[in-house]
Amino acid sequence: MRKLLALLTLMYSSLSMADGIVVDKVYHPYILPNERKLEWRFMSRQSDNGNLLGQRLAYGQALGENLIMEGYLAFERDTSDDFGLAAYEVEVRWQLSEQGKNWADWGVLFEVEKQHQTEVWEANVGLLMEKEFYRSSLTVNLFTVYEFGSQIRDEFETELRAQYRYRLHPAFQPAIELYTGEDFIGIGPGLMGVHRYEGQKQLKYEIAFISGINGDTKDHTLRFALEWEF
Amino acid sequence: MIKMLGVVLLLVSSGVFAAPEVVITLKDHLFIPSKIQVPADKKIKLVIINQDPTPEEFDSFDLNREKVLFPGRRSIIYIGPLKPGEYHFFGEFNPNSAQGSVIAVAEGNDHVD
Repeated sequence: MRKLLALLTLMYSSLSMADGIVVDKVYHPYILPNERKLEWRFMSRQSDNGNLLGQRLAYGQALGENLIMEGYLAFERDTSDDFGLAAYEVEVRWQLSEQGKNWADWGVLFEVEKQHQTEVWEANVGLLMEKEFYRSSLTVNLFTVYEFGSQIRDEFETELRAQYRYRLHPAFQPAIELYTGEDFIGIGPGLMGVHRYEGQKQLKYEIAFISGINGDTKDHTLRFALEWEF
Repeated sequence: MIKMLGVVLLLVSSGVFAAPEVVITLKDHLFIPSKIQVPADKKIKLVIINQDPTPEEFDSFDLNREKVLFPGRRSIIYIGPLKPGEYHFFGEFNPNSAQGSVIAVAEGNDHVD
């Protein structure tokens, strides 16, 4: 555990921090061949400035034994109550190591996003790590984001996400999640689970309530995700 | 970023060890043997040979593993370290027949605690 914390501190301290909200999803580094999935994510951030609502719809398909590609449509409602398509995104996740073989399991994520109707792009590289401790698992994501385009000042950002999960029951796995960025540090409880159907079909859910801990004002985010694998 | 990737590559490539190895055969949608005994608190290398003409998916919530077993191939699944106890696994495509369990036994004990 000390080795893990030292490594994360070393990696994280060598990077600048990000700005903006980062509560979204903690990615696991594992891929299944033949995996196909539909995903819906919901995020509601409540602060003294009002409510921000984000939703994402995605389709993903494995491209090989260790690689999966997903396409996203992102919808947002801002504090002016305008709701609509906000961005498109393509994401590739690559499992780097065999689960359980090494000290920890590793993966990497590449993501390109374009804002709808504006020339704002985002390229994202994420390092995904998971370490198993008997019935619990620690997952850490470290992202480096490059924003560019004619309508935005080019800049690098980083984000850190972490999840500690206890595998109590397939349908009931309590967790604690942590999200950080320059303007936001949030932590809170979560719950996730899976219900299996015939063959490879399974429905996964995740829910978490993240409270900002670095500001003087109210800043809570509720996130919810449903994933249908088939 | 380069520094970070260097650290990762080092960690991904390290940690290869000689884990105790257990071979299981999948034939006629049955895991043979269906019960295996392994030492507790050690990583174990399961080698599963799928002799069936169809794929199977090894699934175990207890062991926290999911792995596709392609027909005619040897698949490797690393499990543990496990506390003493019994850990069930099954085949997702034939859950009624393809079932088994890993029994982790503490060193010096012949039986599960």
